[in-house]
Amino acid sequence: MKFFVSNPPHVLSPVTTRRLMLNVVLALVPCAAMGVYNFGLPALWVLLVSSASAMLAELLWQLCARKPIRVDDLSAMVTGLLLGLTLPPSAPLWVAGVGGAFGILVVKQFFGGLGGNFMNPALAARAMLLVSWPAAMSGYVAPGTDAVSSATPLAQSFNWPDLFLGKIPGSIGEVSKLMILAGLIWLLATSTISIRIPLSMVAGAALTNWVLGGNPLGEVLSGGLLFAAVFMATDYVTSPRPGPGQWLYGLGCGVLTILMRHFGSYPEGVTFAILTMNVLVPLIDRAIRPRIYGHERRERHA
Amino acid sequence: MLKSRFWGGVHPLGKDSSGKGPTRELAVEQFVPKSVRIPMNMHLGAPSTPCVGAGERVKIGQLIAEAVGPLGVQVHASVSGVVTEVRPAKDGTPASVAIENDFKDEWAELSPLGSVETCDTEAILPAIQAAGLCGMGGAGFPTHVKMCIPCGDKCETVILNGAECETHLTSDHRLMIEQPERVLNGLRAAMRAFGTDRGVVAIEDNKPDAIEAMRKAATGKPGVTVMMLATRYPQGGEKQLIQAVTGREVPAGKLPIDVGVVALNVATAAAVSDAVELGKPLVDRIVTVTGRVRRPANLRVPIGTSVGEILEFCGGVEKGAKVVLGGAMMGICASGPDAPVTKGSGGIVVYGPGEMPEPTPCIRCGRCAQVCPIGLVPYEMEGYILSKQLDAAEEIGVMDCILCGCCSYICPARRRLAPGFRDARGQIQEERRKK
Repeated sequence: MKFFVSNPPHVLSPVTTRRLMLNVVLALVPCAAMGVYNFGLPALWVLLVSSASAMLAELLWQLCARKPIRVDDLSAMVTGLLLGLTLPPSAPLWVAGVGGAFGILVVKQFFGGLGGNFMNPALAARAMLLVSWPAAMSGYVAPGTDAVSSATPLAQSFNWPDLFLGKIPGSIGEVSKLMILAGLIWLLATSTISIRIPLSMVAGAALTNWVLGGNPLGEVLSGGLLFAAVFMATDYVTSPRPGPGQWLYGLGCGVLTILMRHFGSYPEGVTFAILTMNVLVPLIDRAIRPRIYGHERRERHA
Repeated sequence: MLKSRFWGGVHPLGKDSSGKGPTRELAVEQFVPKSVRIPMNMHLGAPSTPCVGAGERVKIGQLIAEAVGPLGVQVHASVSGVVTEVRPAKDGTPASVAIENDFKDEWAELSPLGSVETCDTEAILPAIQAAGLCGMGGAGFPTHVKMCIPCGDKCETVILNGAECETHLTSDHRLMIEQPERVLNGLRAAMRAFGTDRGVVAIEDNKPDAIEAMRKAATGKPGVTVMMLATRYPQGGEKQLIQAVTGREVPAGKLPIDVGVVALNVATAAAVSDAVELGKPLVDRIVTVTGRVRRPANLRVPIGTSVGEILEFCGGVEKGAKVVLGGAMMGICASGPDAPVTKGSGGIVVYGPGEMPEPTPCIRCGRCAQVCPIGLVPYEMEGYILSKQLDAAEEIGVMDCILCGCCSYICPARRRLAPGFRDARGQIQEERRKK
C-alpha cells in the first residue's frame, strides 16, 4: 500500500486569483448600476460589449495559442468592465468592442498573458481609443438628455449631491463618487487592495493642485481621477508590490495627473499618468526592497 | 500583556483552532507497538553506525548505533526484544535496525546524574550526548552540539520553544499541561550548564491552559519566566521566536548563540531532564494523530514505531489517503505505512485523497512578500529560478529562506513557491560543494 504524496504546505488560503478578480467585479457593480441608472440602456450595452469582447478575445487567444483555457479566472472580465466604465455612455458599441479586444490581445496576451503585461490593459486600450477616435471618445452627455452637452466635462463645476450621485456628464462608471467609494470599501474590507495607492494618488493630486493654486478637492472629484485611483492604479500586475513603493507610485500617479491636466493638451491626464507610472513599476520595485532578516539594509546591493 | 511580534506570517486553518481542536483536550496515552524499525538518520548529521547484530537481544535504552562525525547522534533501542534485521541504506531508504517487541519492558541499566539543581554541571552535556538527543521540533539538530558554546560566546538566555505554531499538532501542548515539571527541569539543567540565570518558556496565546500550567510550575524556579506570544505561524521558527522574545535578529549565516541565545523545543527540554535526572536516553516521544482518522489521539510512541501500526490503532485510513508527518505547513508526506516515527515527528496528520490544485500564472499581487517572515520577495525568486538564474535568486536571498511555506499558503495563484526554493537551495549547495 502506498500513500498519496505531495509537497508541503498541505493547506492553502481560500483566497484564489478568481476570488480576487470576483471581488473587483463585485466592487464595480455599484458604479455600473449607477451608470446604467443615470445614462440608461446605451450605457448597459457599452458595458456588456466591452466585457464580452474582452472575454471572447481571451478565450479565442487561449484556444488558438493552445494555452490552458483560463477565462474563468475572470481577469478578462475585469479588464472589459473597467474599460467599459471609463467610456462615455454615447460611445459607439464597436469602439467598446475594439477596445476590449485590443486590451486583452495586444496589451495583455502579446506580453505573456495574465501577469506578463507591463501596462494596465484597460487603460492602455482606453488610451488607444482616445488617440484613434477622439470624437467617439468625448461625446459626453448629461444624464437624462440626448444632447451632447460638453466635450470637456472637467471644465464645468457641479453641485455636491449631483457629483456624488453621478448626475453629471462623464464616463459611465466615473461619475458617481459615492459608488466609487462603496467599491473602495468593499475592496478594503475583503483585503483585495490596501489603501496605500488610492490614498497617495488622491493626496498627490490634491497637493499638486493646491501648489498650482487650485482647489485641492475640486480636481480630485472631477473627471476619472477617483475611479482610476481605486480601480485602475491598484491593478496588481502593473503596480508595485505592497510596501513603501506603493506610496511612491500612488503619489506619482496623482502628481502626474494634475501636471498633465494643467500643462498638457488633453484635459484628461489620469490615463496617461497611470500608464507612465506603470512603466516605472519595475524600477520602483527594484529600488525599494524589504530588508532581509539578519542582514544590514544595503549589504546585498553594495 | 505585551505580545511580541515577528515579521509577516499567516493564520492557516483560522486563528483560533488551527486544526488543533480534535486533540487539544486528549490526554497522552501510551502506545505499545509489536515491533519497531529505527532509522539511522533521525538527526541532521551523518547516519549512525549500527553496533548490534540480527538475533541479538536488546533492552530499552540500550545503545544500538553509534554517532558518526561532528553532528552525529547515538541511537538506542526503544523496545525490549530481539533484533530481527540490521538493514543497510539502499535506494534512498536509510539504514535501520528492526526490533521485535517481547513486551517484557526491560530497561538497560541507567546511570542518572541526580537532581538538575544539584548535579555536576560539567556532566550535563556528556549526559545529553550519551542520551542521543536531537531537536524534537523537527530539524533534528544534535542537542549536545547546539549546547556546546564556542569559546568567547556566552549564552545569556535559554528559550524553550513551546509555540507549537504548526497546524493540527498538540503534542507539545499536552506535554506542557501534563508534565510541566519535566519541561522546566530540562530548562534548569540547560541554564545551569550555561551558567545563566535567564530562562524563558515561550508559548502562543492560543494555549492559555499550557501557559497557566507552566506558570504554576515555574513559581520558585530561579530565573524562569513564561512568556505569552501572539498566535501566528511561524512563531515557532527559531529565528522568529528569538526575534519575538528578545527583539534581536540572528545575523545571516550565524547561530542563535551569536545573539546570546540557545533555543530548545519543550519536548527536547523534557528529554534533557530525563537524560540528567534518570540517565534515560531518548526512546519515545509524544505524537499527535489527527485529521481523517476515526479516533484522533495524543500518543506516547516508542521511536521507530511504524505509521501504519499507529493508524490502525486510531481506526485506519481510507485508500489513497495522504499521511503527513508533522503539521500542514511543513510536514513531509509518508510514502507508505512502513514510515517510522522519528525523534522529530510531532504528529501524524491524515488527509483524504485528492490532488493539490494546479498552479496558475503569478499576478504579482505581492501577498507572498507580505507574509514572508524573512523579508524575501518570493515571486521574484521564483521567476529567477524558473528562468534558471540561480545566481540572481541567491542574490535576492533564496538561501535565507526558512522553507516555512507561508508564501505557498497565501498564493492566490497556487504557485508552489516553497518547494521550488527548497530544490534551488539544494542545487546551490551542490554547486558550492563542487567548488
